[in-house]
Amino acid sequence: MSNSFVQAIRTSEVAPGGMKAVVVNGHEIVICNCGGSFYAIDRRCGHMNAPLERGTLDGTILTCAMHYAQFDVTTGEALSGPVPPDLGDEIPPPRMGALLENVGRLMQQIRTESIGVHKTTVEAGWVSVAV
Amino acid sequence: MNAESRKQALRYFFSKIVEPMGYKFTPDVELMDFLLDQEVMLEGKHGVPFCPCQPLTHDRARNMHIVCPCIPFHRTHFDAMKRCWCGLFVHKDVTDPDSLPQVSAKELGIE
Repeated sequence: MSNSFVQAIRTSEVAPGGMKAVVVNGHEIVICNCGGSFYAIDRRCGHMNAPLERGTLDGTILTCAMHYAQFDVTTGEALSGPVPPDLGDEIPPPRMGALLENVGRLMQQIRTESIGVHKTTVEAGWVSVAV
Repeated sequence: MNAESRKQALRYFFSKIVEPMGYKFTPDVELMDFLLDQEVMLEGKHGVPFCPCQPLTHDRARNMHIVCPCIPFHRTHFDAMKRCWCGLFVHKDVTDPDSLPQVSAKELGIE
């Protein structure tokens, strides 16, 4: 990874606790405002590639909106995998049940990987990202 | 995934949930560490950090009542003991968690 910083967004564009997706030099990146400290991470979830800016940010922990895998935005480390879906008490019809079982088997093979992080600097109201 | 990082994350989220209810993590650091270890293992297996000291059943609705922190589902019982069932959380005023016995709801006449 090179260390050339590129201006990505103005600091005023993301409120504390918020995230914004940007494309910097062709890289999809999410910039996170953790109480005034800015962090930049790869946009795609380490579980199934969902766009992470659609998730929620609590402190420095990001929860993906798709299956609720969690990541530390300061390090990119995967903190937890997907949460199993709540199918309720309803028993699915036989063909649907077989399909869900098959999907479940496939899903079990999917690992949750840590995501990439990028260095950031804040200067003159701009957040710059190293890409 | 790293168990230590996950434990830190659980501590962060759990604190936010239990503090408004008047609870805190047990001052017994060794016990806290052990119980969080078990929860990380249970989460790895089931996808949910269940209480390590209560049995899982085949009834999902019932199992959801022992997802840590399970205080809201057993409030009267835990308030009477000043601790949760496994002892991961105690009332905020508790300094000596060893003095708090684990008493069933039935024995307390709550159930």
